[in-house]
Amino acid sequence: MFENAWTKSMALGWIIMALSMMAGCSATTRDLSPDDVVHYDENYDFSDKKLIVSRLVDSLMRKSPLAARDDRPVLVIYNVANHTDEHIETGGITDDIRQEILQSGKARFVNEVQRDTIQRESDYQYGGNVSPETRIQRARQVGAEYKISGTLRSITKEQPRQVRLKRKTLQYYSLVLELTDLQTGLIEWTDNVEIVREASKPFIGW
Amino acid sequence: MWKSSGKLQNPLSDGNRYVMKDVSSAGRNARRWCVLVFFSAAAVMSGCASARLQQARSEFYSGNLGEASAALSSPDKVSSREQLLFYMEKGLILHYAGQYPESILLLRKASDLIQAQEVISASQQVASMVTTEWITEYKGEYAERLFVHTYLMMDYLLVNDPESALVEAKQALAVYKDYPEACSGDLFTRALIAHCFEAEGEINDAYIEYKKLAELLPSPALVADRLCDLGSRLGFSDDVKRYQKYLPPSAGKSPKTDEAAELIVFAAQGRAPVKVPQNIVLPPSIRFSFATYENVTDGFYPVAAHGSNGTETGSPITTDVGRVLRTSLKDRLTQIIAKETARAVAKEAIARQVDDPLAELLVRIALLIMEEPDTRCWETLPAYLTLVRVPLYKGRNRIDLGQEGGMPVLEITVTPEHPRYYYQSVRDGGDYHPVSASP
Repeated sequence: MFENAWTKSMALGWIIMALSMMAGCSATTRDLSPDDVVHYDENYDFSDKKLIVSRLVDSLMRKSPLAARDDRPVLVIYNVANHTDEHIETGGITDDIRQEILQSGKARFVNEVQRDTIQRESDYQYGGNVSPETRIQRARQVGAEYKISGTLRSITKEQPRQVRLKRKTLQYYSLVLELTDLQTGLIEWTDNVEIVREASKPFIGW
Repeated sequence: MWKSSGKLQNPLSDGNRYVMKDVSSAGRNARRWCVLVFFSAAAVMSGCASARLQQARSEFYSGNLGEASAALSSPDKVSSREQLLFYMEKGLILHYAGQYPESILLLRKASDLIQAQEVISASQQVASMVTTEWITEYKGEYAERLFVHTYLMMDYLLVNDPESALVEAKQALAVYKDYPEACSGDLFTRALIAHCFEAEGEINDAYIEYKKLAELLPSPALVADRLCDLGSRLGFSDDVKRYQKYLPPSAGKSPKTDEAAELIVFAAQGRAPVKVPQNIVLPPSIRFSFATYENVTDGFYPVAAHGSNGTETGSPITTDVGRVLRTSLKDRLTQIIAKETARAVAKEAIARQVDDPLAELLVRIALLIMEEPDTRCWETLPAYLTLVRVPLYKGRNRIDLGQEGGMPVLEITVTPEHPRYYYQSVRDGGDYHPVSASP
């Protein structure tokens, strides 16, 4: 009788373990809206990028000098320097800032990223294969009046080591963006967005 | 077979127990064989490093970097418990093959895995308590975790991405903070961190790191020029006066560092020590096993850069990788002893639970064999890492890094539009690769 009970208990245990493993291993997918705020941990993610871009673009367009201009001044945007301790693709931030400003119609941008390919195409058109009446005219590119640049910084603070089941981390991000008048060298506008997030991770998992 | 089940069967008398044993002998035999098969399988599994890893290491030390890399063509080729070793070994092989972008991808995966492994797996820990440490995921010694960032810093500098190198420098600083004792002897990485701050123009942070390094060195002379240069730019005149006395007499005669290009050499020599098993056996079958590091490389030829006129130039900062690894292992000693003791107690308890003398003997043998120390380690690491900063002059520069130590002679031509820094990673006895120059 006891033997039987032991065997049954073992079999039941194995079945429960197998079922829980199968449940854990089954693949699931779901679509999310890019506007949803989703954080898996304390680190920088796409929700942070959206927040940073929307706040800074809003500030840039509502304040002087862009708010006072209705002639769509020409801007150039340089990469945001990553001074955090994470590998963050800051090109995504500048791309989104450029896109939002362009879509607002408040300003125009020179394509700094594609300068080499623009030059290559220009050289090709003047290489003899393109008819003179259809090729572009050289020395007609527009110079930028303002430069947008910025720096992303972070400070990480972890709870000191001690006996506990979870470890808390405090993460601070700050993105400072500047608009510089390229003729005078004066910073005409600056603003920053700060994000502070606390996250806790368990020390023990299955 | 298990006494615990026997106790359940024997609430009143021994007579009942024997009757029950006879009735259930078929079931007991089945369980006995299940247990023996399990322990035998675990015994066979314990102590087996992935053959692909061994093959890659062997090819690497034979100078066949292509074959070494091919042996580790995919993470599936090694056990899931040794994924970290896969990424570390292949990342380093690709570094010395000059494939820096590919090395970055692999070492970044190692870095991500180290972070993911911070969560302790309860199932693995429980299983290892009655079997062997080999069934747990390899998490890397603390110093090895630091060296992942060290190689990433070098890789990023070699592909002219100082911003990402600085990200790695900050992650390396976090490892120093988490494991100060284990990593304190790694002067090379400290010097590299300081350089990453300097290369990105973060001179205040660079100054702080050079100052920390000066305190760790026997004398601040090796970094005095950096401290004086950065200190004067930051306006720390008192500090500059303090460190000026460590400058060599020739310091004033050479061109100022900010006017000339500079070559930063990452020189690797020898082979890092490997872990070997050590055992203490107590009757009847208690085996305490642990790993210690054993030297593979005996000699060390100090790296010294000699310019075209034969005069010594540059200031080498060397890390004895073996010493750092030993300190790192020692840092975990309490943890290792505690787990070994708990495992010995658990195994003895298991053996005593077996009431069949033959089965008990077999279980004891299996448990004894399984008690194999975890000798997994990052074996392609060098024995010594040296960072040398060599001032470069416009025109042709010839730098001899010490041919008697297997180091190459470098030829670098500095053009009028020269970059600020040139980088070179070399390893004794192997190929060396074209100089990378940062813009």
